[in-house]
Order: sequence, then structure tokens, then C-alpha cells
Amino acid sequence: MTEQPRRRRFTRAPRILTRTGEQLAVRRIRWLLVIYGLVLLLVLGQLVNIQVVQADDYADRSVRQRERVIELPATRGRIYDRDGDVLATSIEGATIYADPRGFRPSETADGTPVPAAADPVEVANELAPLLGRDVDDVLERLQRDAHFVYLGRQLDHEVGQQIQALGYPGIGVLAEPKRVYPGGGLAAQVLGFTGIDGDGLQGLEAQYDTILRGRPGALFLERAPGGLDIAPGVRELTPSQVGTDLVLPLDRDIQHAAEMAAAGAVERFDARSATVIAMEVATGEILAMASTPGFDPNRRVSGDEDAWRNRAITDVFEPGSTQKAFTVAAALEEGLVTPTTPFEVRDRIRVHSSTFTDSHPHPDSTWTVSEIIERSSNVGTIQIAQELGEQRLEAYLRGFGLGRTTGLGFPAESPGLLMPHEDWWGTSLPTISIGHGVAVTLLQLASGYTTLANDGSAITPSMVRGTVGSDGRLSPSPRSTSQRVVSRDTATQMQQMLIDAVSGDAGTGALAAVPGYSVGGKTGTARKPDPAGGYSDRYVASFAGFAPAHDPQIVVAVMVDEPYPIWGGVVAAPVFAEVMEAALIARRVPPDGASPTLAEALERARDLAREREEAEAGAADEDPLGIPVDDPASPPAGDPAEG
Amino acid sequence: MTAILTPRRSPRSATIRDDRPDLRVVPEPRPRHTLGYALVMVLLLAGAVFGAVALNALAAAEAVAARNLERQVAEGEREYARLVADVAALEDPGRIREAALELGLVPSGPARHLQLERNLPADGAVVGTPLPEVTSDPLKPVLSAER
Repeated sequence: MTEQPRRRRFTRAPRILTRTGEQLAVRRIRWLLVIYGLVLLLVLGQLVNIQVVQADDYADRSVRQRERVIELPATRGRIYDRDGDVLATSIEGATIYADPRGFRPSETADGTPVPAAADPVEVANELAPLLGRDVDDVLERLQRDAHFVYLGRQLDHEVGQQIQALGYPGIGVLAEPKRVYPGGGLAAQVLGFTGIDGDGLQGLEAQYDTILRGRPGALFLERAPGGLDIAPGVRELTPSQVGTDLVLPLDRDIQHAAEMAAAGAVERFDARSATVIAMEVATGEILAMASTPGFDPNRRVSGDEDAWRNRAITDVFEPGSTQKAFTVAAALEEGLVTPTTPFEVRDRIRVHSSTFTDSHPHPDSTWTVSEIIERSSNVGTIQIAQELGEQRLEAYLRGFGLGRTTGLGFPAESPGLLMPHEDWWGTSLPTISIGHGVAVTLLQLASGYTTLANDGSAITPSMVRGTVGSDGRLSPSPRSTSQRVVSRDTATQMQQMLIDAVSGDAGTGALAAVPGYSVGGKTGTARKPDPAGGYSDRYVASFAGFAPAHDPQIVVAVMVDEPYPIWGGVVAAPVFAEVMEAALIARRVPPDGASPTLAEALERARDLAREREEAEAGAADEDPLGIPVDDPASPPAGDPAEG
Repeated sequence: MTAILTPRRSPRSATIRDDRPDLRVVPEPRPRHTLGYALVMVLLLAGAVFGAVALNALAAAEAVAARNLERQVAEGEREYARLVADVAALEDPGRIREAALELGLVPSGPARHLQLERNLPADGAVVGTPLPEVTSDPLKPVLSAER
């Protein structure tokens, strides 16, 4: 320990003493240069590290700091009826969200306490009525352990503005497209609806989702931390593509008339449901497709899913006597009978081990084929079917569209039920020939009658007239294909028989008559199968027909489920007449029936006026005011105009 | 073992060196206007900075204006879409029926048709010079191109 300083002195002293001041300065400068060099190397190294080694990483970080990518949602295509009236469109809604962290006290990283931005109870009380939710529900969402919660989605734009004006920290408003159906429940089962994220879930919204949804775009821009765009920065816009619009063949007025008529039938006959279809004969375009009970796609609630189904396409029923037209048409086409071929018809017939009866007892009669249809005789139709045979009956029924989907492509379309004739048993021929043991959708029934009205050519039903792209022009859908099922002569003979079924003295469809037009059609009344086996005591009433009968333009088919009374001629035929009349007027089809002259009409009008005056005079004696209390045209009590 | 090559002096360089005088008179340098030069440079620099800042400010102002315009466009589109939906809702046959009933109108009975004893213009008789046919597209006013 004691020798070390001495040794140090011995070695260092001569070196210090030998250096001059100039040498010392040079040496210091050299050291400084070395240090500068090292620092420079360090800087250069870091420069190389930043600019070369980690260049991509730093470039990405830089871009992430200033870039903003704003997704531009695509506007979903609209759905129009055949006249360009909007059935479904999209508007901008407001989605309200919250960051629950702001509503509870917290601490910063260095332990500084941060108070809650606002009292969640106060905020919940304020927002709940605007959001249409319970206060407890809103409060529960504000107190969740999450960074982001929805308080309400796709609300009205005005609601979003009101909430934004409140200025609560932690509460935000986003613009989000909202699908709306201006007609409410009009054609709801046909249109379907979209989910909360804009995906088609039901009906045409689901079937044509890919072309309706469009393609979202994006806006890429550089933005300063304050939120202002960096003007000379990058700005790339990939515009969103608006979804393609759909134009349907539906006519809004006919659709409304069909829905009114169906709803009226359900109410009047205490029925479970009612379904109506109107089709254009020449094109197969569906003018109306109504199902009752319906729903409003703008206000769907859980529990009414049963009303979402488009029953005209998804539900099957036994067509009953409406199918007799197909059976007889097949026999006519095969040359087995003519409209005037007589049959000895009793009121019951035994086939295999079962006895089939007509709806009403009658003495043994000689009826022509035309009279069998007019009277809707089960026995007579079975006799005709026995001449036809199983194989040919099945082939013609399939030709009329039974047992297979129509080609419409609608979601959940049912093909119906028609077993191959190889699987038929002893009573199948008579049963199926009169519309039992076979199940059809109302669309299949309407298509079959369209074939008869279209001079024997089956035409594929059409639910979309075309699409409208960004150029605003209609691109028509491919024309419906047609296929001959029976000859023109057979179809004409069948049309005349169906006219007799409505206007004949013994016709069962008298209530289907439309003033001014000739109408052809057939009633149907069928027991519903019992799930436990056999048939229940519940019925389906139906009617299918066309007008004007001598140059058919429109086919209407009606099905009423479990009505009372049960008869198709009583329940379904008036619905047919109501819808057919509305359709003929809406489509401007000129009347073909015997219309009165102007002089005759004026004379009738005078008679009516005279009768009304007499009736009012009689009523005035009973009511001093002369105004029935339940007259909707009566002025309300206290109306200033009254005095 | 190896010969060392010595560079040969070129005769030309020797000549130049021989002809160049050892001393010559250098003209007096012109006095430089240092202050003016500095002022020009400062002005140029200031102008460049001011120009860059001004351009940037103008661009920022235009960016704000562009954002306002985009907001107006978006607001206009939103309003248009809402009005289309409102018009369609007001035209709904069900709503019109309800409104008519509230006003005291009663549903009409079944339609009746008259057979006129002579033709009227509506039946095809033309009075005067017919107007040229106009191709109309009933869908056009409400379709995508005008969104």
C-alpha cells in the first residue's frame, strides 16, 4: 500500500515533464476529435438504424400518427314497385355509444386521482327518454366494465342531434344507415327486412342481398392532432358503390287492395290467416302478394316471427276443388272427354276401400264435363280421373307446376307435395284428382291457373322486373320462360267451363263476379290434414280465377285458412272479386261485360236517388236532426262550422 | 532485380514553369457591398418563409372550407334520403285511406262502367292536331342517378 504512490511517481513524472505545451494541445485536440468521431459515429449509426434498418417501422408509425381512414358505408339499394314508388329505402340514423370508463373515478399512471366526468345516474335519467329505454337499462350500460357500449342504434337523426347537444363527455354519436319501409306493413313478407348491421335477413332483402348492399368505400387522409386535415398531405378517396336498386312488378295499389281484402276476410270470417296473389297472365309478373296477419318491418318485435313468413310461397295446403280444373284439363288434352261428354253421376262413389261423396246429396244425374266443373262434383271428377289414370294425372299435375318450386328463387319456397304415381295406393287417384293428398303453395295454384289463362302455356312467375344501376336506367330481368302444358283448344275449353263455374246457374263461384267483366274461376273447400293422422274438422277455403275471361289479363288466387263458414265460394270468392276489381282498374283493363248505356245508367241513378230521398224522409221522422249518429260524414259535436 | 521507373518530366510543363514570372501585380479587389447582400438574402429568406407559411395557411383554410362543403353535401344527401322516405310514406295507400276516413270520406262502392252511345275523345276520337309522342320513364325521377 505504501509503495504504490512511489512507483506511480517514478513512471509518470518523466512523461509529463517531457511534453511541451504544443504537444499537449495537439493531444487534446486529437482526443476531442476521437470523441467527436465517436459521437458522429453514434449519430450516424442511429441515422442508419432509423433510415435504413428500421425505416419501414418508423415510416409506419409516422403514417399511423397522422393517417385517418374513414369508412364510407355503401347506401343500400332501394326497392321500387312497378311504377317507381319506393317500397324500401335507407336513411341516415344515429347510433349512440358510451365509454363507461369516463363515468367512474380513476387514477392516472402516476397515481393522480381523476374524478368521474359526469354522474351516471344523472346522464341515464337524461338520456333514457331520448333513447326510448328504461333508466335502469341505460344506467346498467353506463356502469359496465367496458370501453365501449351501445346505448341505442339506428335512432332518428334528430335524437342524435339532441344527445350531441347535451355534450356529455363519454357519450358519442355515430351516423349509421337505417333501413326504412315507408309503406309500413305494405308487402312486408315479400320485401323482408335487414338486420341491425344492414344484412338482408328475410324476403327479397335476403334473396338479393348481394346486389342491394353495394360496396363500402374509404377515405384515406392525413390529419393533424387537432383534427384538421393536412392540406398538402395524402388524400385518397375510394368512393362507396351504391347498391343496385330493385324494381318489382308489384303494384302498390293492388297490393294494398289485396292486403285490405285479406285482412277483411280474416276479420269477417274469424279466420286464422288469409293469402292472396295477383299475377299478370302475359308475363307471369306478380302484381300483388299479400298475407294476413302481417307485420311492420320498421317495428319488428320478437314474438311475431310467425307473421314474417311469406305464406303464399312457404306454406302449403290441400287445394281441394280448385285442382279439379287441372284434372279435367288433362282429360281434355288426352282426348278422353269433351266439355259436353256426359257422365252418370251419383252423389257417392266407392273406390278401393273408401267412399267419396259430393258436398251435397243429389239424385243420380247425367252431367256433362262442363256441368261437373260448374257444380264442383267430386264424384264426376273422380270418374274422369279414372279414365285418365295415375301416370297421366301425375304428369299433367307436374306440368301445371305442382310438386316443384316455381323458379322464383324466393327464400324458403316450398315445392309442395306430390308423390310419384309409383308410390300411390288405391285411393290416391280419386283423392288427388279432387285436390286432396296433394299439397300446393298458393303461388303454385296461381301459376297453374295462369297456365290455363295463358292459352295452355306455363310461364315462370316473376318477382323482379329489373335492376337500376348507377346510371338510373332500368335493366330488365330476363323474360320469363314459357312451356306448353296443354293445347290452346284445351285451355279455351277449360276457360269456358270456369266461366260457367262463376256465372252458371249452378256455379259455386257466383260471388267472384266482378261488375263489367267476365270472370272464370273455381272454388275450393278442403279439410285440413290432422297432424295425428287423417283429416281434422278445420278447413281451407280457396278460389282461383282470371278476368276478363275471354281475354285473360290477370289471375288472382285466394286462400283463407280455417274460416267460418268454410266454403270457398262464400269466403274466398268475395275476396277474389274485391282484389280482381282493384287489379283490373289499376291495370286499366277495359271491361268486357255488358255495360249499361249512359241513358240506362242515368235512369238507374234517378231511381236510386228517389229511393234514397224516400228513405231519408222516413228516417227524418224518426230522427229530428236527420243525421245518423254513426254517420262518418256527420260533423263532430261542437264543430264551429255547425253554428 | 527490378528497375525503378522514374516519371519523366514533360517538356511542356517545364516550359510553362520557365515562362511564368515569379511575381505579378494583383489588382485591388473591388469593395463588396456586404450589407446589401445580407439584406437581399434576408429578404429572400423571409419571402420564402412567408410564402410557404401563407400557402400552407391558405391550403389549411381551403381544407376547412372543403370539410364544410363535404359536411353540407352529406347533410343534403341525408335530407334528400329522408324526404324520399317521407314522400313515399305520405303516398302510401293505407295512410291516404286513413286520412280520407278521418276527413269524413266513405269508401266507394264497386266500380260501374258505362257504355257511351257515341265516341268521346277519351275513347279514341282525336280533336285537333295530336301532340308528338313523348317517351316517358316513370321511374326516372326517383332513381339512383339523382341521389
